[in-house]
Amino acid sequence: MIEKTRFIPDGKKELKKLPIINYTDSKYLYYPVTSSRCADGETCVRGGQFVKVGEVIGTRKGAFFEQPMHATVSGEVVGTEKHMDQSGKSVDCLIVKNDFKYELHKTIKDRTDEEINALTKEDFVSIVREKSLVGLGGSAFPTYIKLSTKDKIDVVVANGVECEPNLISDYALMLTNPKAIIEGLIYAMKASGAKKGIIAIKKKYKEIDERLSFELREYSDYDIEVVKIGNFYPQGWEILTIKNALGIKIPQGELLSKYGVLNFNVSTLASIFAAVKHNLPVLERYISLSGDGITNQNFRARIGTLMTELVESVGGYKDIEIPKVLILGGPMMGVNVSQDDIVMTHTTTSLIVQNQVDLHEEPCIHCASCVYSCPVGIQPVQIMNAYKTRDKDMIKHLGINKCIECGLCSFVCPSKIHLTETMRKAKRFASK
Amino acid sequence: MQTIKQTSPYVRKDVSTKRMMIDVLIALTPVVMFSIYRFGMDSLIRILVSLVVMVGLEAIAFGMMHKPVKSDDFKERFKSRYKDFTINNITAPAVSAIIFAMLLPSKLPIYAVVAGAGFGIIVAKMLFGGMGSNIFNIAAAGRIFIGLALADMFTGTYDGVDLIAGGTALTAIRTGAGFPYTLNSYPLIDMFLGNIPGSMGEISALAILIGMIYLLIRKSADFRVIVSSLATFTLLIFVAGLKLYPEQVVEYTLFHLLSGGILFGAVFMITDPVTSPTSRPGRWIYGILVGSIVVLIRLFGAYPEGVAFALIFSNMFVPLIDYPQWATNKYKPAFFIGTSVAILALVAIVFFGVGGIA
Ligand code: SF4
Ligand code: SF4
Repeated sequence: MIEKTRFIPDGKKELKKLPIINYTDSKYLYYPVTSSRCADGETCVRGGQFVKVGEVIGTRKGAFFEQPMHATVSGEVVGTEKHMDQSGKSVDCLIVKNDFKYELHKTIKDRTDEEINALTKEDFVSIVREKSLVGLGGSAFPTYIKLSTKDKIDVVVANGVECEPNLISDYALMLTNPKAIIEGLIYAMKASGAKKGIIAIKKKYKEIDERLSFELREYSDYDIEVVKIGNFYPQGWEILTIKNALGIKIPQGELLSKYGVLNFNVSTLASIFAAVKHNLPVLERYISLSGDGITNQNFRARIGTLMTELVESVGGYKDIEIPKVLILGGPMMGVNVSQDDIVMTHTTTSLIVQNQVDLHEEPCIHCASCVYSCPVGIQPVQIMNAYKTRDKDMIKHLGINKCIECGLCSFVCPSKIHLTETMRKAKRFASK
Repeated sequence: MQTIKQTSPYVRKDVSTKRMMIDVLIALTPVVMFSIYRFGMDSLIRILVSLVVMVGLEAIAFGMMHKPVKSDDFKERFKSRYKDFTINNITAPAVSAIIFAMLLPSKLPIYAVVAGAGFGIIVAKMLFGGMGSNIFNIAAAGRIFIGLALADMFTGTYDGVDLIAGGTALTAIRTGAGFPYTLNSYPLIDMFLGNIPGSMGEISALAILIGMIYLLIRKSADFRVIVSSLATFTLLIFVAGLKLYPEQVVEYTLFHLLSGGILFGAVFMITDPVTSPTSRPGRWIYGILVGSIVVLIRLFGAYPEGVAFALIFSNMFVPLIDYPQWATNKYKPAFFIGTSVAILALVAIVFFGVGGIA
């Protein structure tokens, strides 16, 4: 109890055993015109128009970049409707009625190996940009920006740690399609000029290690290595992954590329592969429903699918008389949403439905567990006290900006104090 | 279906303050059992009195400190005062009560028990704001209060050696025959098992160690303070022994470790999280502070027993150790240099200081 906590019950064991159901044939698919990173957006198709798989149907506009939107089915555009996006906000969504033919758009053509070999860094960047690839680990940060770095890159890290409990998307991908990840990694290495590639996975995933190592034998020309790192949380946080996989300590707030490192989530790399090789945008993702309030199930579902359909397909919620907490993402850092009327986007990999538990906050007993457990080495309890007195300078002095909102401090507190939320408030307060 | 708003994280570790308190209670059982075995009803009655006073007064004070809702119905007002009253408002004072009782001589008059327990819970705890807000260790505060207010009771002028607080064997070393001879009346093995006079809970090192092991396995106490206070204590006493009784320095060190309240204090009192600093370096410093003050009081001070004093004194330094401007959870070079210098200085003080006494 009074200790550094690094392990959280990971809830993946049961999920991993479940089969993965294909849910790729929805009748209607929805495409949010804006996202949390892109406040603006416009569509370039009209109602009644027919679109094909991979066709550009609009553009989302962020502060300094634009992202094309792609259709993931072929069919007719039938209008717009409001649904929730990943961040829990209600947004306009373009609706495409699936014609179940899945005709590919004419731009969707495979590149030959020769063509790929001839690609320059700029070509890679522009492909990734056109296909609107983003960090699929959850950051949704545009991949092309990362890839177009001017710094000299020595090593590309494929991050397959997925340290949040209840997520199995990366795991399933590594098991079912390791080739795509490896090829994607090679493309990323080519694009960035890195000589070395690392695939970082959790130590306990022996099956993944075997699978990847087996595949890697075919790629002996490349210097790619599987590195097994610890099982603890938040091991997938890039700074920790890199420290443990490469031994490079990168101070918080610095760009990884300055230290010659690029870090991609394994799913992102697989999407780079699909974009470069097949000229495809991201069409599907693995997604799981978990938690004690719903029948647990894994899916392979098309981007644009409405979450409500997935929930219905498993028979709806269990014990509906008990109030529920709906979470998009993992239980440590996921986003709370008020309903399941959510459109699946690139970064939607999990919906957790938890029955309500009453938590009673007790006074802090100075046990210091939160201090011991904080992965960035700040002192949550002190920040909480400074926030109570609204001492802005002290909050800053205590390093609030280092907080990655990993949730560990709330997780460990024996008095059930919601420290992480206080950290968020203090952060907002200090930056005002 | 109703959905609820929450913010991340949505899972919590299976730990609780309640569980921690209960762990301390469990860890105290061997000590309590032993004291009842040794002192029978005397012990049981004092433990019960202390429990009733502390738990009862906390409940009353709690009610008075919480504003009731406006209502004509007395019952409703009463209920609303106790809306936030939880099991921790029972377990926490229970822990303090038992620790306090364990610090007492078995024949201490009951009204003194009541006075000490009352002072501890009301002045040292509730007046500071109740659970989690107290600055001073509650049991130690209560013990010192009666030690000062009712000083006569502890000086041994009443009847027989059993009345004397904690440091009976310690008293012997200072006023009686002197060190090597005290071992004749108090062989080390008896001191380890608890076959000596002294405060109810402090005499059996064995019972205390069993409790300690339990606490450490459950991680309900921080090993850092236990290790640093005991290590500091042992080192400094060893140094004093080197100077005073070079032939029997090991016996001397063991004698000191097993006598008085240092073991009990290190396991059950210094580990009290509420009155400890909240960082790893801070906890080490705190342990060193308590350990060395106990030694200084024993060697140079007027009181044969100093754990409670050392603790209260160190409690005053906690805000300083924890002062956010410099407190950090990282082990920085300054920490290592600072503690090394402090320990060397203490060693020097003890080594040259005890010369005068010998
Ligand atoms: S949420 Fe912030 S303060 Fe809390 S443990 Fe994580 S990084 Fe540390
Ligand atoms: S906030 Fe919670 S975890 Fe942190 S010191 Fe207080 S009781 Fe312990």
